[in-house]
Amino acid sequence: MSSSPASPRPGVRSTRLLPPGLFFALPFLALFAFFMLWPLAQGLWMSLTDSSLSAHDPSFVGLDNFTEAFKDAEMWRSLWHTVWFTVISTVPLVVVALGMALLVHTGLPGQWVWRLAFFAPYLLPVGVVSLLWIWLYQPDLGLLNHLLDVVGLGQVGWLSDRSVAMWAVALTTLWWTVGFNFLLYLAALQSVPDHLYEAAAIDGAGAWRRLWSITLPQLGRITTVVTVLQALASLKVFDQVYLLTKGGPDNSTRPVIEYLYDVGFTGYRLGYASAISYIFFALVLLASAAQYAALRRREK
Amino acid sequence: MTSTELSVRTPSAQRPPRMPGSAGTRGDRRGRTTNLTLGPSPLARAVALAVLAVIALAWLLPMLWALLTAFKSEQDASDPEHWGLPRHGFTLRGFRIVWERGDLPLWMLNSFLIATAVTVVTVLVSAMAGYAFSRTSFAGRRPLFALTVAAVLVPPQILIVPWFRQMLGLHLLDTYAGVILPQTVAPVMVFILKKHFDSLPRELEEAARIDGAGHWRIFWSVLLPLSRPMLAAVAIFVFIGAWNNFLWPFVSTSDPALMTLPVGITSVKDAYGVQYAQTMASAVLAALPLVAVFLFFQRHIVKSVATTGLGGQ
Amino acid sequence: MLSRRGALTGALAAAATVLGGSALSGCTAAQAADTSTVRLWDLFQGADGGLFDDMVRAARPDMPGTRVERTVLEWGTPYYTKLAMASAGGRGPDVAIAHMSRLAGYAPTGLLDPWDPDLLAEYGVTEDSFAGALRPRTRYQGRTYAVPLDTHPFIVFYHPEPAAKAGLLRNDGTLDTDAFSSPGAFLSAGRELAKASGRQGIAFGYVNDPAQGWRLFYGLYRQTGGVLALPPGGRAELDEDRAAEVIAFMAKIVDGRVNPRQLDYPAGVASFANRQTAMILSGEWELGAFRAADEKVGAAPFPTVFGTPAVYADSHSFVLPHHPDPDPARRRRTHQAVAALLKASRLWGTAGHIPAYGPVTRTAAYRELRPQAHYASAQEHVVLDPSVWFAGAGSDFQNAMCQVLQQALLDGLSPDRAARAMVRRLNTFLSKPSPA
Repeated sequence: MSSSPASPRPGVRSTRLLPPGLFFALPFLALFAFFMLWPLAQGLWMSLTDSSLSAHDPSFVGLDNFTEAFKDAEMWRSLWHTVWFTVISTVPLVVVALGMALLVHTGLPGQWVWRLAFFAPYLLPVGVVSLLWIWLYQPDLGLLNHLLDVVGLGQVGWLSDRSVAMWAVALTTLWWTVGFNFLLYLAALQSVPDHLYEAAAIDGAGAWRRLWSITLPQLGRITTVVTVLQALASLKVFDQVYLLTKGGPDNSTRPVIEYLYDVGFTGYRLGYASAISYIFFALVLLASAAQYAALRRREK
Repeated sequence: MTSTELSVRTPSAQRPPRMPGSAGTRGDRRGRTTNLTLGPSPLARAVALAVLAVIALAWLLPMLWALLTAFKSEQDASDPEHWGLPRHGFTLRGFRIVWERGDLPLWMLNSFLIATAVTVVTVLVSAMAGYAFSRTSFAGRRPLFALTVAAVLVPPQILIVPWFRQMLGLHLLDTYAGVILPQTVAPVMVFILKKHFDSLPRELEEAARIDGAGHWRIFWSVLLPLSRPMLAAVAIFVFIGAWNNFLWPFVSTSDPALMTLPVGITSVKDAYGVQYAQTMASAVLAALPLVAVFLFFQRHIVKSVATTGLGGQ
Repeated sequence: MLSRRGALTGALAAAATVLGGSALSGCTAAQAADTSTVRLWDLFQGADGGLFDDMVRAARPDMPGTRVERTVLEWGTPYYTKLAMASAGGRGPDVAIAHMSRLAGYAPTGLLDPWDPDLLAEYGVTEDSFAGALRPRTRYQGRTYAVPLDTHPFIVFYHPEPAAKAGLLRNDGTLDTDAFSSPGAFLSAGRELAKASGRQGIAFGYVNDPAQGWRLFYGLYRQTGGVLALPPGGRAELDEDRAAEVIAFMAKIVDGRVNPRQLDYPAGVASFANRQTAMILSGEWELGAFRAADEKVGAAPFPTVFGTPAVYADSHSFVLPHHPDPDPARRRRTHQAVAALLKASRLWGTAGHIPAYGPVTRTAAYRELRPQAHYASAQEHVVLDPSVWFAGAGSDFQNAMCQVLQQALLDGLSPDRAARAMVRRLNTFLSKPSPA
């Protein structure tokens, strides 16, 4: 930030009409204002009206949408599903990614294959991921139930059993996106200085000792970062839940983003959906603030 | 996490992480790392390799199972008694049917056009803004940059309702422009590129400036060429995000002719009911482009994730 | 890669063309399609989906030069959400299939355009083409918003051999519905069927299903003479005693001894198709599946168990998604195509649906269809969902009612408490503002 911005020289093109800085910033600022700031304001305004998908003109209703939302058991339930999904997806997405990265980082042969296997699912569009897993989770025909049959366990209603469905969604999410965190960990592992290991080897420390006393402590920071990024991403879950279960059975997996979609577009109530959007936004800001505080504490 | 929502922070220009795949793939280096982490014990190596192989197999299994199903006849695909190899041999029928139906290639083309447009606009506009925030001064630069950084916290999901309203008013629902434009606002990329330009040395620009180069020349002919790796990383990241984006394309298109791949294959159904082999054939075809790209550009993509996905923390 | 100037500029130019082109002209494939195409959205998959294609082919002589382009979307809520969103944007298809029970949530919102009765009449479709029980539901504020294609009632299917053995068939081979004319008679008929089949009597698949429980309940409830009034903003009026009586009866049907206790929808279909049961309570749309398993399968309108004839049903109807300024020529073609499809709907009847278009059901050809002709009379007494914005096929409302009913049938919630729980959930729906 200590830059000394170049002063526009006389005779230079493009500096006549606008200050050059503004010229460069303008395309972004225009898009930013039009497709982010304006919709943010518009959404806030809509949350104070009974705006609807149908043709009628919206009228101002004050804070009615918010008071309704705070009394709306379905909204709280869907918020809870979002939080619960965040917990049960973030933990394995960090732990499994770490395990994969540690194993691959050993430099064992087949690096190319491992990276492909772990990261390729991340490149699949969510539509493909959901088709794949709906097929895997099929009763009678799906691979997972076949495997359960083979080992003599009964079939599981992966997506239809209320007590299993959310776990099934989390499992799919793990498979799909763990490769991303895996790569972040791999990059971090490769910047652990070799001399630490060399010193440990001279001291006669075994492989486990090196893992516990050198590798893992060196990964503390990146673990915090990966966890924070993952938790923020998991809070925004919608796609895979919607495509796998439509939020069911009996809305038992519906996250808050799907609830606002349902309320706004299925139920036509754009105003109420906007209010829920803002309540969700507050949750995200709260989580961000908490995580920022945690990061700061770590840095000290 | 939804792939549409890669929460991205800035890269640390000061301490560039060593990229997986940059030096680590060379044989000598690999052997060294193995020695450093696992030690010389062959048993430890064998165990580690076995564990790795099991996990990798588990990760590949869903895709292999989809492939297997895609090459079966419908009859074999829905035969609960014989779920392994097909009894009536392999067939390309599923692929042929879904390809000839014609909407899958159309959705692929839509996805490609939309992701390309999003990438080009985002990268260009964000690079220009990054340059403006890094190298120029104008009234309001600091507050505008602060606003941009703050906007990183806004989840795009909360904007779908106002975006829908907005596009309704502009008559842009079910148009390419309506799908593309909201996706081009990427404050985080501006932030990343600003930090990146901050980290570049100023000597070259000074030389160019003495030669009479203006801002545009400096930006276009000096800084951008210097930034190729970073621009490629950002572009790859934006492209993957746009290619896989679901929620906004899903909300903003209802005409099947305008749908993107992830939206089309999940919204439009076959009149003849669920045909598992065909469904898996379309899933395989839909997965192909990016997986193929990954095979060719593995190193770049891995690097892109490491730089763009983490940075600045 | 992208930083190559040439590539970048080229791609940028391409992007600008895409953006500019579509933004300026607002042109989409929808509008670009030539006017001889009628774009239709529907939710028919499986046997129905294939049959609908056949029907489109059969209708061609009556709509010369018109091509019907179908888009099949996922059944249920996603379908109706997409339809509403497309209509709100004014870019919906030319015509769409919708359940008549959903009309109350659509017509008042401006998301649909009314049909032109004169134009329909010109192509041979008038009010009295349709069964009297459906007619009032096609209109809203005096204008016609739905042109019914069929009635699809909730009926009973049976395998003739065990039914005959149990003495439940008349001389002409049709079901003796008198043997089911009270709760006690119905249950004892079930016992006879179980005895005759050597396995179980009557199947009903409802577990985790978002509609089945409600279909059975509401038909039976209306047979008791009970009414369900749902004034928006007010309180639900449900006769709790009668509702409890019906729920108690339903719980006795799925007793787990004479009849299977916990079947989900596919398991119910399978148990009847595999002859584990002699009878099934089901929508007529499963006829194809049942006939594949037993070509002599019999069917009858749902028996009148509680005195007043009433059969739960719905109707697939054609609706016009809203367009801000429709092209008259296109609208005319759409009217013509719909009339042509109605005239070809005898084919639709082969799937089990009762064609709504009277001239078709009055033909000898239709009357010879077996077992369709045996339950065609069901359309005289059809009962659709209450006409309120949140009800109808694939709605949250049906799902909520089914959840309560499942607790009573499966988890031992007492019938009177279940009835009260239904009222509570109805009041929650009523307290939400109507979108109209």
